[in-house]
Parts: sequence; C-alpha cells; structure tokens
Amino acid sequence: MKKGIIFIALIISLASCSKDTATVNSNNTPVSSVTVNNFAADTIIGLTPQGIPFGAGKYSFYSLETNKSVPSSDSATTKWDLGFRGTSIIINGGNSGPGMGSGFVFVGLYNNLSTIPADSTFKVDNAPTSYAITAGSNRGWFVYDAINNLVNPIPGRVLVIRTASGKYAKVEILSYYKGGVTPPASASDAIKLNEQRYYTFRFTYQPNGTKNF
Amino acid sequence: MLKSCILGLILSFTYTTIDAQQSDTLSGIGNEVVVTATKTERRLSNVAVPVSIISQKKIQQAGSLRLNDILQEQTGIYLTSGFGTGVQMQGLSPDYTLILIDGEPLVGRTAGVLDLNRITVGNIKQIEIVKGPSSSLYGSEAMAGVINIITDKPNKTTLKASARYGSYNTSDLNLSGSIRKNKFAYQGFVNGYATDGFSIRPNSVERSIAPIKRFTMQHNLNYYFSPKTSASFNFRMNEEKIINIIAVTNNGAVTTSNGVEKNKDYNATFQLAHRFNNHLKNTSRIYGTKFESSQELLTSNGSPYTDYFKQQFGRIENQTDYTINDLLELNAGVGYTIETANSNRYDKTESTKKNQIGYAFLQTEWRPIKQLTLIAGARYDNNELYAAAFSPKLALQYKINKSFQLKASIGRGFKAPDFRQLYLNFTNAAAGGYSVFGTVEAQKIINQLNSIGQIASFENDFYQLGELKPEFSTGINIGGSFKPGNKIHFTFNFFRNNIENLIDSRLVAYRTGGSQIFSYLNVKNAFTQGIETDFHYQLSNAFNVNAGYQLLITGDKDEINKINDGKVFTRDANGFSRLMEKSEYVGLPNRSKHMANLKLQYEKNNAFANIRLIYRSKWAVTDTDGNGLFNTNDAFAKGFVQVNTAIGKTIAQQFNLQIGVNNLLDYADVSNLPNMPGRNFYTTITYQFVQKTKK
Repeated sequence: MKKGIIFIALIISLASCSKDTATVNSNNTPVSSVTVNNFAADTIIGLTPQGIPFGAGKYSFYSLETNKSVPSSDSATTKWDLGFRGTSIIINGGNSGPGMGSGFVFVGLYNNLSTIPADSTFKVDNAPTSYAITAGSNRGWFVYDAINNLVNPIPGRVLVIRTASGKYAKVEILSYYKGGVTPPASASDAIKLNEQRYYTFRFTYQPNGTKNF
Repeated sequence: MLKSCILGLILSFTYTTIDAQQSDTLSGIGNEVVVTATKTERRLSNVAVPVSIISQKKIQQAGSLRLNDILQEQTGIYLTSGFGTGVQMQGLSPDYTLILIDGEPLVGRTAGVLDLNRITVGNIKQIEIVKGPSSSLYGSEAMAGVINIITDKPNKTTLKASARYGSYNTSDLNLSGSIRKNKFAYQGFVNGYATDGFSIRPNSVERSIAPIKRFTMQHNLNYYFSPKTSASFNFRMNEEKIINIIAVTNNGAVTTSNGVEKNKDYNATFQLAHRFNNHLKNTSRIYGTKFESSQELLTSNGSPYTDYFKQQFGRIENQTDYTINDLLELNAGVGYTIETANSNRYDKTESTKKNQIGYAFLQTEWRPIKQLTLIAGARYDNNELYAAAFSPKLALQYKINKSFQLKASIGRGFKAPDFRQLYLNFTNAAAGGYSVFGTVEAQKIINQLNSIGQIASFENDFYQLGELKPEFSTGINIGGSFKPGNKIHFTFNFFRNNIENLIDSRLVAYRTGGSQIFSYLNVKNAFTQGIETDFHYQLSNAFNVNAGYQLLITGDKDEINKINDGKVFTRDANGFSRLMEKSEYVGLPNRSKHMANLKLQYEKNNAFANIRLIYRSKWAVTDTDGNGLFNTNDAFAKGFVQVNTAIGKTIAQQFNLQIGVNNLLDYADVSNLPNMPGRNFYTTITYQFVQKTKK
C-alpha cells in the first residue's frame, strides 16, 4: 500500500470519542463499547473533469488499542489497527501493514457477539484483489444506493478484527456521513459529496487476548 | 372566480329534484356490453370475472386528454412515473398489464413500461378493464389484467370538433367524423396535442414534463358484404416529439444537453367476420404494428449520443364462436405471432432480434342452470425463444337473487422475457462503467472478457445464468355485486396473485477495475393481495356519488423467509443494529396500502358539475436503512389527496362548453411526484356539426 506522509489535521479536530456501555466478560475484565464520531476518511477535495469525486488518496488510521487516530506517517508501523479511505477499510496485516491484523464480516448483532465463534475464518488483506473486509457495494459493510447516490452501512454487520498486536475487537459502522446523519435522498449532490466519508463507528476492544467481549 | 365556482358546486350538490327522467348512469349499470373479458360480446352483468367499464361520457366529463388522466381516477389503479407513465394494477408493475387498442396489443415498452401518454382519449368509445390473469385468452403480459381501449366505430353520420386550451400552454384539438352509406362505413379521427410542459422545481432549467407535441390519427373503414359478412380495416398512427433540456452542474460549471426524443407508433388491422348461422361465427384478423423511438442528446461540450429502438409485431388470428345451444358456447382460436426488435443497446442496431409464437386457445361457457355460469378456458403459447406457456382459467358466476350475485375465478398469467432481458448489451460509460447483458449474450460476452483478463471475479449468480423462463402468476379473484333496486350498486372483490419466476437484474461479475456486470435471472417470488370495493349511490335523478377503495398488501417471499429466519436487521435511534420485526415489513416499494376515490356528480338540463377526489396513502421509496428490503424505517412518500373538478353545459344541442380545474389543492411533492403538475385550469369547446343516427 501507499505510505502517506501528510497527516490530515482535520481528523483530530473532527474525531471525538465517547464511552457508551460497559460489559463484563467471562474473565471479569470489563470491556466497554466506544463510539468514534466523524472520523474523516479521505474526504472529497474535488471532481475529475468526468465528474468523479476524489480525495487526497490517503488512508486515515485508527488504533483500537489506544482509541486514537494515528498519523499517516506511522502507516508502516504496528501503531494502527484499521485504515479508512472512502468506503475501503484495511486491517494492519497481510500486505496492508506489518501487524498481525486480520478479520472478517460477521452477520448478526453487535451485542449478541459475546464470543467470536471458534470456527471463524480470519482473512488478511491481499490488496488490491481481496480484503479481509470485502470491498464493494453489498459485499462487506455497506450498500451503495445508486439511484440516490448514498452509501448506507448494512445493519447487522459486525467487523470482527484481530488487531496489529494480535488482540481481538469488534466494530460496527454506524454512519458514513458527517454528524452520523445520512442526507435525505432529495439532498443536492454537493451536500452528498461534502458530507460523506466521515465514519461514525462503535467498537469493543478486548485487551486480554481472549475472543470474549 | 374559482371560489365562486366551488361554492356553486356545493350548492348544486345540496339541491335535489324529483324528476321522472332517468339519467344515463342510472339505467346504464350492468347493461353495457363488454368484449374483453371473454373475447365475445357480453352484458357487463353477465361476466364472471372482475371487469369495469369507463364510458365516453365519463372520460369527457372528467376532462381527460391522455389515457393516464382517466385511469388515475379509477379504483385500484395507480400510475407510475419513470420511463413514461405506466399502470399499476392489483399491485403489479406496469410490465404485467396488457394494453390493447380494439383488441390488438400495443408494443414499444421502455424498461417494461408502456407510456400511456401515447394514447389520446379523443376517440375512445369505452375503456374496458379486466382484472386478474387473462393469459388464457390473451397470452403474454396479461398477468395483472387487460386494459382494452375500444375506439369509435361508424354507426351514424357525425362530424364533431373540439378544442381545449389550458395551463402550461397545453392545447388539444380533435376532429372526428363518420359516415355510413350503403355498404360502406367510415370513421376518421385526428388529434393534435401540444404542451410547454412544466417544472415543479423552482429555478430549474429541466422540466419534469418536457415540451411535447403529439399527433394521432385513426381511420376505420367497414364494408358490409351482407348482414352476415363484414370486413373492416383500421389504421392508427401516433407521433410524438419531446424536447428535453438537461442541465448538469459539475464543479459549478453547467453543462447543458439538448435532447430530442421522437416516438412513432403505427397500427393496422384487417378483419373479416362471417356469421354462418345463429350458431356459428368466424372472425379472422391480421394485425401489424411498429414502434420506433429515437433519442438524440447533444451536449454543449461532447459528442452527440443517440439511442434507437424499433419493435415490430405481426399477428394472424382466427377465432370461431360456436353456440351449441342456449346453455353452451365454445370459443376457439389459433394464431401466429412474429415479433422483431432492433436497438443500439443490443449488440448492434442492424442485427434484428426475432421471436415467433404459435398459439391456440379454447374457452367454454356453460350455463347448467339459469343462475349459474361456468367458464373454463386455456391457452397454449409455443415460443421460439423461451419455454412454452400453458395458461388455464376457471370462472363462475352465481346469481343468488335479482340483486345479489357472486363471482369467482382462478387463472394463470404469464409474461414472456422481453428482448431487453434477452439481448441487452449496454455499458454505461458515464456512471462508473457498469454493464448490463441480456441472458442470451451474457455468458458468451463475460467468458470472452475473462479470456482476455478483463474479469476480476464472478458472483454466484453468474453460474445460475441460463435460459430465461417466462414469469408466471396464479391469480384468484372472489367477489360479487349487490344491487337492490336502481339507486345502489355495491361491488367487491378479493384478489390474491402469486407471482413466480420474477425476472430481476442481478450482479454476476466484476470487471478488472471494479465495474459491475449485471444480467437477468428468474429469481424472485412475490405476492399481491387485497380487497377492492366500489359503491355507487344515486341520490336523486340529478345527483350521484361513487366511492372506491382498494386495500393492498404485497410481499417478496424470499424477503419474508429471511425475516422469519431472523436474518434481517435495521437500526435503532442510536444507529445501532437491531433485529427487524416482521410487523415492520412493508413489502414491495412504490405501492400504497390504501387507495380511495370519491366522485360527486351532478347532471341536469344539459349541464353537469363534478368533483373527484383521489387518495393515496404513503408508499415506500428508498431503502435508507440498507437492509435490502422495504420496512417502516425506510423513506416514504407522504400520502395525499388530489382533487379535480369540472363543469360543463350543452347549448342548443350542438355546442358544448366545459371548464375544469385539476389538482385544485395544488398538491406537490418535488421528489416523489415530479410528473404531477400544480393546480391547472382548462376550458374546452365542442361543436357537433352533424349528428344523424342511421335508420
């Protein structure tokens, strides 16, 4: 993957985190669900003459372990767990990064996933042909509404992540739009373009190395 | 002025008189003759399947111009927008209603929709609407039902002209005349229509209805060799030209495109009918039609783009009606159809796509006792391009007493895969480069692309591609009518349609670079069911009320299975996923659960006034929660009431003046009803030069 050097200051200013709920796992270690708001992921900076929107082309990185964004200057390290660019999500492992990361998309409810099933297959990124979090509309975490030009996260999809350091986490994408609110279908193209690529997601990180949440 | 008009209407409604004279509508119920239901002439009160009739008078008094204007006011019918105006009947999409003019099918559908704007109502004698599968007589497309437009026939000498002008510079001119002399009879009709169109979006260059010019003519020539033998020739032509200005804003720069769309439509029928005796009648018909459509798009900074489509359809059919005795009648028919299509959206415009169908049908009508009529019929269609279709139907009517009768019918309907689903070869370079290939081409093209390394991955549906089967439906209709005396008439009908093998486009492969490739598969199974009721009440000789209602419930069987299996999710107020409840499921999009209409009509001393209310409850438009099906958490269009009104007066039996207002409440929904104009006014004058009844 491309190694960026420019860190988008926007990410820090827009990313804010909050603790939501706390649960107790089987080891009696409390793990809590955290929501990350407005995490900018290569927001659109222009349109090609053909009208295709583009951003700076850089992934925005996040560490589930520290619950912080990671500058893109650290893209070649194991400091980050997830990278976001447009609708693409990469995991620090495989050919995306030097970490031990892998993952898959679990179909079901976030709260019901208290233990990662033993027969689960964790995949690693093999860009550009395949990703652990399958790319494309209606294949991984989102569906693209081509009539209204909107990206909707599919409900009941949990990204099960093995982090760069080999711990486990679960992630649910809640929104792809600024403020966590999808523009209405009737909104102008300008609004739909300006407000997209801002992730709202919640995650639960299990620091003890078990697959229990 | 408008206010005083409405006040006048209300006043006139409360004013009742006792008049010995009976109005047309009163005596008319049940006595009209209908041909579509059984392909033979029958009194409406003697038909075993759900049929309704719209008379010429009703069309005129509603101030309708195009077929969609009058259909939208009928119970259980909703008009869809997108690729023209299509008809949704018993909850089925426009693809599944067969549209006939004088018993012969119209062709030229875009994405399954036959644009009803192509049909002027100026020379319509009556519209017959048969609901429920009717493929046992009509073959493909008659899944939801059949709409048959019966045009004026020459039975007297007439000459009539009418002119109408209204909002948006909309003008409509009609000239019709007929003459009957010795053994010849001729009916001619010419219609010209023009509108500037309109836009309900403020400050928009684009118009939701573009400026249109239309021209229609129809000629009908009859020759009566003897009272028993007649020949008729019918020719119809419709031409339309639509000017579309499309503005695309890109990075602040506006690119304007000028689009010109031209559609031409020709129909010709030759018919020879002979009655051998009281028992035996034979009718032979040859029919040909051609639809040609071109769309040219000239962009201010780009190369011109042209879309072309041509469809031709020819048919020869022979029908024999054999009345064995008063209790038993047989109708048998055989026919052969040839159909071709050319389009630049197929592999190449010059390569003509062709399908041939041979078919036969047989229908028996048996009246074992006076109160009971039984109909059994079936049709077999043998297709060159896809699997054969067998469409049986059973219907019965039971007259319990003078005022109460019951009807029940069950039938199969089918729709053949169309040329688009078989041969489309279309890549949209503008929108991400996706491609759609018809099933005949899909595997071949994709395998070729794969051999040169152009395919990144195959979807599971690729391996399911094969010969498309016709879409099938089984429809059950159970209803009845209650008519105690002449003042009240109540009809009701329960319907259920099970639709199998629905053809849907599916993603089959990804190109290297990520572009998607779609093709068509028989994948979906759906159902529609509901109740339809109509109530007519003659309050006085001058004043009558009609009320109609339809309850509609629809669903996709695979979606329901997924919900039952707990595999469908939606989101709560926090945006967190949760299980979707079955009660949240709303079924197929763009369908309203409740539709109703109320028509108040006053008519006396050659003057009339009416007010018509049309209600539609909310309907699902967008799957905003991303779970792939429609539920109460998605985006809905709001329910609304449309009110139309008209008044008219005939002066000196020759001159008729009518004024009307459509969409009186000025209801608008920019996103979901772009084709619905705001409040609009019109005035029509009609002059009858000659009106002489033969004999």
